[in-house]
Amino acid sequence: MNNEERRLADILHRITPEPPRRVTVEQVAYRLVSEPSGPRLGRQTRRGREPRPRRGGLSRAFAPALAAAAVVVVAGASAGIAVLANSHHNPPSASGGTPASSSVSSAPVSSSPSQTSSPEPTTPVTGVAVGPWDAQLINHQTLNQLSLDSADGSLYAYGTGTLDRIDPATGAIVATARYTPPLPNPPVIVGNTVWVVWSNSGGNVVLHGYDAQTLAQTASVLVPATGPVSTVADGILTSGPNGHLYVAAGVTVVEVNPATGQIIQRIYLTAGTASSAAVSPDGSTLYVGVGSSASFKLLVYNLAANNTVEGSSSLTSGGAGGDLVATSGGVWGITGSGMSEWTWFAPHGDLSRAVRVGGGGGGGFVSAPSYSGGVVWVGGTRTLTCASPANGQALATADVPADHGVAELFTSPVVAGDHAYSLYVNNQSQQSGLVRMTPPAACSGLSS
Amino acid sequence: MDTLTGVEHLAEPDGFRDFVQARSSALLRSGWLLTGDWPSAEDLVQTALAAAWPRWASLRRQDAPELYVRKIMVNTFLRWRQRRWTGEIATGRLPETPAYDVFAQVDARQALLAALDRLPARQRAVVVLRYFADQSESQTAEAMGCSVGAVKSHAAKALARLRDAPGLSELLTGGVAS
Repeated sequence: MNNEERRLADILHRITPEPPRRVTVEQVAYRLVSEPSGPRLGRQTRRGREPRPRRGGLSRAFAPALAAAAVVVVAGASAGIAVLANSHHNPPSASGGTPASSSVSSAPVSSSPSQTSSPEPTTPVTGVAVGPWDAQLINHQTLNQLSLDSADGSLYAYGTGTLDRIDPATGAIVATARYTPPLPNPPVIVGNTVWVVWSNSGGNVVLHGYDAQTLAQTASVLVPATGPVSTVADGILTSGPNGHLYVAAGVTVVEVNPATGQIIQRIYLTAGTASSAAVSPDGSTLYVGVGSSASFKLLVYNLAANNTVEGSSSLTSGGAGGDLVATSGGVWGITGSGMSEWTWFAPHGDLSRAVRVGGGGGGGFVSAPSYSGGVVWVGGTRTLTCASPANGQALATADVPADHGVAELFTSPVVAGDHAYSLYVNNQSQQSGLVRMTPPAACSGLSS
Repeated sequence: MDTLTGVEHLAEPDGFRDFVQARSSALLRSGWLLTGDWPSAEDLVQTALAAAWPRWASLRRQDAPELYVRKIMVNTFLRWRQRRWTGEIATGRLPETPAYDVFAQVDARQALLAALDRLPARQRAVVVLRYFADQSESQTAEAMGCSVGAVKSHAAKALARLRDAPGLSELLTGGVAS
């Protein structure tokens, strides 16, 4: 290569962003069985295969009917699932996982230049109208689709390799720290600390805490898992009204006091490996998602009654799920993938009574429900809805527009001050970032 | 609630999961450079991996699974481009252009995608394979089903076009001794 070629190679490597999410074996397997000719196994399948002429956006992936009618049980994965299924019928032995008494460190970590840096200059508010509810694009950064959260007049989201604090008034990034999420999980703000999952692999979950104003790293907590952590983890970190963190860690959910780093309790699941968790607003109920590539089970624990099991129900379609959000009336989550992804609300955690409340992302987009400003927000590529946290009823809904037939995404809405904010992606116009919206009055509680 | 009516059993090939976990990010980035957006990149990668699945054992024996996956990606991309109508789209209104673009610094990512969009599909594929995926000229030729000479020709023409691309030319020539 000559100098020019080397410089081009350098540009390509440097500028090409990291993907918002990875491709999984389950998606590939799902595609194999979802094609009209059925699973393409063996040599005959390659020759007879028609090329896929469709490109991009909503044209991709799986026919909804087939997606609803098929599920993949990957042999290798199912073997692993069987092992875990056996393990949860018997309390895991101490030798089977990291001992619960393992030390948990939460000593403040001094901020280092490598962890926290000054924010880059960001685009000022331009007020580009992009969608429903007077949506105005006020920040043009590329932000992780499942990362927005708000607290005390600030917005937090994941940029490209960063955790960012955003001023909702201007859309400007006012503080940033280096961070790359290992799994989908928005930041969790407790008091003056922003908590994120730093790593989730092997036998441990590592959390990092950042000062909510400066985003200087202030804490690191190691949570030993019992058994291997979930391979389909999707929202393993949450918080309760007592300010404690709850971490889905192997076949347990661990309650951690973030102020001291101490494990308060370890709740052993009655089934499977925890892939997501949520605590009800009154702190009485813990919802745990147990996911695999092919199914999703929801466990309900009464935290106020010595962690007794109150319910267990399963989704019989859609595959893995997660991104749980607990409200007074029950729990919300997503399941499925691609165009078959959808958002549900399960009254009191009973999936047998679950109702569909939104179409989710699709087309390479992801969307998860969020609970903010007293209502639940469900975004996606089709509709934007605010719903009652008590019964799941839609309070107001707006259609998400398409740009020349290409889907646009509004996801992870949260409330800050008098407005709602959402992450936005429009691949047609190559626009993305943060939008500020003024939802209708029906989305009550906005000023709270 | 939807109800499952059928269950399919697929045997996951040995080593397939490790490959997907290790390489999907790099493959997706290549897909993004080829297509210009993440949904299409995911579609491309999933298509290629699905094609590789039934042949995985053979590909592993040849120690060439990634070459094969990239080959499928490029060929699928070229097929998509052949089918895509690239003519002018008549519109009743002018596209909305944010005013900040006038004043903002050049967005290198946008400039790169815009420059790649101006390349013919085969030149774009050569750029991605040669300069992003770090494939040799012979590997690139094999993936694209053409000669090494054709790869050199496509690369030279692509570089010439990129050299003149707004926003990218500065990046391409800046700091390089003439």
